[in-house]
Amino acid sequence: MSEVTDEELWSLFPGAVDRDSAAHYRGRLERHLLVNRCAQCGTWHAPPKPVCPSCLSERVVPTPVSGAGTIFMAVFLHQGPPAEGVDYSTPYPVVTVEFDEQPGLRYSTTVVGAPNEEIQIGRRVELDWITRGSAPMPVFRLAGQRVGDTA
Amino acid sequence: MRDRVAIAGAATTGFQARNTDRSQASYVAQAAVAVLDQCGLTTRDIDGLCGSLPAAPAVQSMLGIPEVTWFANPIIPFGNQLAAAASAVYSGLCDVVLAYHGAYRMAWNTGSALKDPFRRGVAFGSSPAPVPESVAGSVGYTAWASRYIHEFGVPRASLGYVAINDRSNAMANPGAAMRDPLTMEDYLSARMIRSPLCLYDMDVAVDGADAFIITTAERAADLPLAPVLVDAIVLGMIDKNEEDQSPSLRRHGQQVTVEALKARSGFWIDDVDVLLVYDGFSVIALNWLENVGYCGPGEAGSFIEDNWAAGDDGTGRILIKGRVPVNPHGGSLSEGGTQGSGHLREAVHQLQGLASGRQVEGAQRALVTVGGFFFNAQGITLRRG
Repeated sequence: MSEVTDEELWSLFPGAVDRDSAAHYRGRLERHLLVNRCAQCGTWHAPPKPVCPSCLSERVVPTPVSGAGTIFMAVFLHQGPPAEGVDYSTPYPVVTVEFDEQPGLRYSTTVVGAPNEEIQIGRRVELDWITRGSAPMPVFRLAGQRVGDTA
Repeated sequence: MRDRVAIAGAATTGFQARNTDRSQASYVAQAAVAVLDQCGLTTRDIDGLCGSLPAAPAVQSMLGIPEVTWFANPIIPFGNQLAAAASAVYSGLCDVVLAYHGAYRMAWNTGSALKDPFRRGVAFGSSPAPVPESVAGSVGYTAWASRYIHEFGVPRASLGYVAINDRSNAMANPGAAMRDPLTMEDYLSARMIRSPLCLYDMDVAVDGADAFIITTAERAADLPLAPVLVDAIVLGMIDKNEEDQSPSLRRHGQQVTVEALKARSGFWIDDVDVLLVYDGFSVIALNWLENVGYCGPGEAGSFIEDNWAAGDDGTGRILIKGRVPVNPHGGSLSEGGTQGSGHLREAVHQLQGLASGRQVEGAQRALVTVGGFFFNAQGITLRRG
């Protein structure tokens, strides 16, 4: 899908993509969760920036993360923006996960396949993917659950 | 800058939590005219403009202010407007600034505002996340509230005290949007909006405006009202300031603001007569109380319990050491979501002796914290001149 144009990328992720985050969103189309890592000092950062905030090198490389991590914060939306597949009649979980790659390196999305009462700060998660519209979307699943248990 | 710049006056339209049939500009005009009258000034005396929305050129044109030599429209919250205006006056870019903030129910913060076609184009510039899977913007405070409850093992009632204090105070403020009594039982049974926060943890979207005159201390001394001197202002921020990347509840913009404000200010919390603590979300107020030094991390709920003046009808308010009220105007949660202009205006009125019905006797010094954790943790100390 690397032939996706900027225009097509924008239409897949309206309001979200810019020049510095385009590689991240292109990665999503191939189900790769890419986070910027510095080729000079090795430090990861998010969200994507044009330079490494730790050493100011411009050699930042969108790099796949394992997606394994720990829930750091957890919110349950009883209402929110309209989105395909989101029914707020059951409060919709949104979590911030701290990745194993580096302390403080975090990513926020939803959790699938678990009842809300099990989605708690401190729980281990792994990466999974669902599809929204025609684009893959990274999500978390509680660690140790079989993919496809529920959805 | 200490004591060189003054707030000469402050005026408000009062606030309503419904879609009124008026424009944002009309409220700014009303507040601006009121503050000019209060200060004995005309539009010809104004040579600086600083506000949120509408943009300064539109406000100048609307009010027929003949000439200005400086203007700016910083983003909210309102500590930015005060800092910009005070800096402009101190540096001589202008002498008399009309500063304003139009609070307005906007399409992105209330569903009913979205139904009003005349409101759809109005936004403060930071649009909400286009997808649910984000903690950017206001959801970020809910996320950190989850962290607060998790780390400190406190009950939701700790947050509830902030809402009850605001509401009980708002009952004495005719300009407040929400004035019905609120009890802990009401709070704990309220509709959840974004767990762990409920309806009463989140500021109320309102129509209305505040306006201020900011000028040199010398000029203010010649105007009718007691000048309120700007003692210190800090706009604190750290590098990791995105909502989900901020390091912890013990390391975000507030700690920077507090340390710098302590260093620059001529007084601190033991000498404060009135405390205005930002409360756009209840958890922000708890964190401010802890960070400015009233208590340790996670202890704000207990601190409030220890300094609680209970009413006999389930209402109640914070009176620190039996003396210092917090948000006597009702704060963002009950006067209305003014992005800090209401907190600043209440501080000015208290120090000028104009807070009728809720006046702190002989108030001389105020601490105002405006904004939250990330890119908006602002501190202001003010004293009566």
